[in-house]
Amino acid sequence: MIKLSHVNKTYANGHQALKDVSFELAAGEMAFLSGHSGAGKSTLFKLITRIEKPTSGQIIVDNQNLSRMKPSKIPALRREIGVIFQDHKLLFDRSVFDNVALPLIVIGMPHDEIKKRVRAALGKVGLAGKETQSPITLSGGEQQRVGIARAVINRPNILLADEPTGNLDQDLSDEIIDIFSDFNRVGVTVLIATHDLRQVERLGKRTLQLNNGELVAPDDFSNDNKHSSGDR
Amino acid sequence: MTTYLIRHLQVLFATLGDMRRTPMATINTLLIIAITLLLPSLLYVATKSAQSLSSNWQGRPQISIFLDKDLSDSNARLIFEEIQLHPSIELAEFITPEQALAEFRVLSDDNISLEQELVFLGGNPLPASIVVMPDRASAKSENLLALKAQLSQFEGIDTVRLDLDWTDRFNAILLVFSRVSMLLSGLLALALVLIVGNTIKLLIYNRRDEIEITKLVGGTDTFVRRPFLYYGALFGFLGALISLGLLLIAAELTHKPISDLAALYSSDALIHQATLIEIFALIAIGTFLGWLAARWSVAQHLRNIQPK
Repeated sequence: MIKLSHVNKTYANGHQALKDVSFELAAGEMAFLSGHSGAGKSTLFKLITRIEKPTSGQIIVDNQNLSRMKPSKIPALRREIGVIFQDHKLLFDRSVFDNVALPLIVIGMPHDEIKKRVRAALGKVGLAGKETQSPITLSGGEQQRVGIARAVINRPNILLADEPTGNLDQDLSDEIIDIFSDFNRVGVTVLIATHDLRQVERLGKRTLQLNNGELVAPDDFSNDNKHSSGDR
Repeated sequence: MTTYLIRHLQVLFATLGDMRRTPMATINTLLIIAITLLLPSLLYVATKSAQSLSSNWQGRPQISIFLDKDLSDSNARLIFEEIQLHPSIELAEFITPEQALAEFRVLSDDNISLEQELVFLGGNPLPASIVVMPDRASAKSENLLALKAQLSQFEGIDTVRLDLDWTDRFNAILLVFSRVSMLLSGLLALALVLIVGNTIKLLIYNRRDEIEITKLVGGTDTFVRRPFLYYGALFGFLGALISLGLLLIAAELTHKPISDLAALYSSDALIHQATLIEIFALIAIGTFLGWLAARWSVAQHLRNIQPK
């Protein structure tokens, strides 16, 4: 589903964020991405969502080569990927409902359908009944969950989460990660960037570790991964 | 198709809602647009009015026929009736020496010296005259000259005066005036596009976060720019409506002096009455210029806003 080959990313200021990163995430796979802050996790997400272009190397997402993707095709790519941002990226002058509904509004879904889906998504992340509130009145953890509801509302094939449990206590973190697990169980490819080693251990999924922009032991496939690559 | 329409209606109402949320800024912009549209509209009305004036004169310029001073009233009437029956003449008006004097009194401000002169002259020196309006078929210069020559043959007619020079000059001035108005209108249209474009630019940067996030969740460029295009078109549309209101006020304010002026020339009201088509044209032009400005602004600035 996601395949990077020899990807380098050097920013205009000379900072080399990623060095020769290669990995493949099979369809329906769930993996963690760990590494110290500044190791390149966010850059990796930006490359997959085509916010940034790699300096060199190839990125293929859902059989589409991002380097050769026309700008007009980018929206379609992003509709397939639900992203949970570390800074939530919510609109504070809009209600929770409007924030969560945005990915459906941009595809022109009828209002009744949007209403149903938003209610369901908010219920799933434990924010039922908060539709009319402004995100600013919510706690950090609740804002995070609004972001999750927005990421999953359009039933994407891929979920990327950047530190989704950063602001949450243990119980809530477990709950959130379990939500991702649920999505993974129904076939969604999930990649979670996290410091939270407890979650990594708890779920026992494959972990990609970035260190100063380099993937540590990229060939160190876990059993889980061998299984998936065998399918391909 | 229906969902497409519904989507557009949603954006339309959302944009109207956004405008209402910032009433002062919106009213400012609308007034600027209205005034920018008002000036070309006024120039247009003025040109149109002058043209209708000119077509009243030039299309069928008046011919003034001055009768012999010592002609009796009954003979003068006979000549008048004969001229009325002339096939090339649509309208003829008989002006008695008394009427002519009355008109002269109205036009001259210094009545005392006029009275003195009348005493000196020993009575009204003005002859009876006939003002004639040829029909459309005879409106060409050469036909008019022929008509003038014919009329000169009449017994009892002193002079026949045809005011072609004056109307030619008037038309030449009018042409210059309408060219200058067109040029000014073009410049004002450009100014309008720049003003609205700049307003849209500010709106775009105010909504930077929203644009970024919309692009992040897969909003297309068309989707992102649509509200701004509506903003521009609505600005133009509402600005044109206000401009129409201002035109009405201007018409109300100038109605009295202009009809007074018209009465002096025993002419109908000179002011051009806007037709329904012209009203629609103003609204359409306003809307189009607003949309164009938004389109231009969006093309310049939306590209710069990309998710980070």
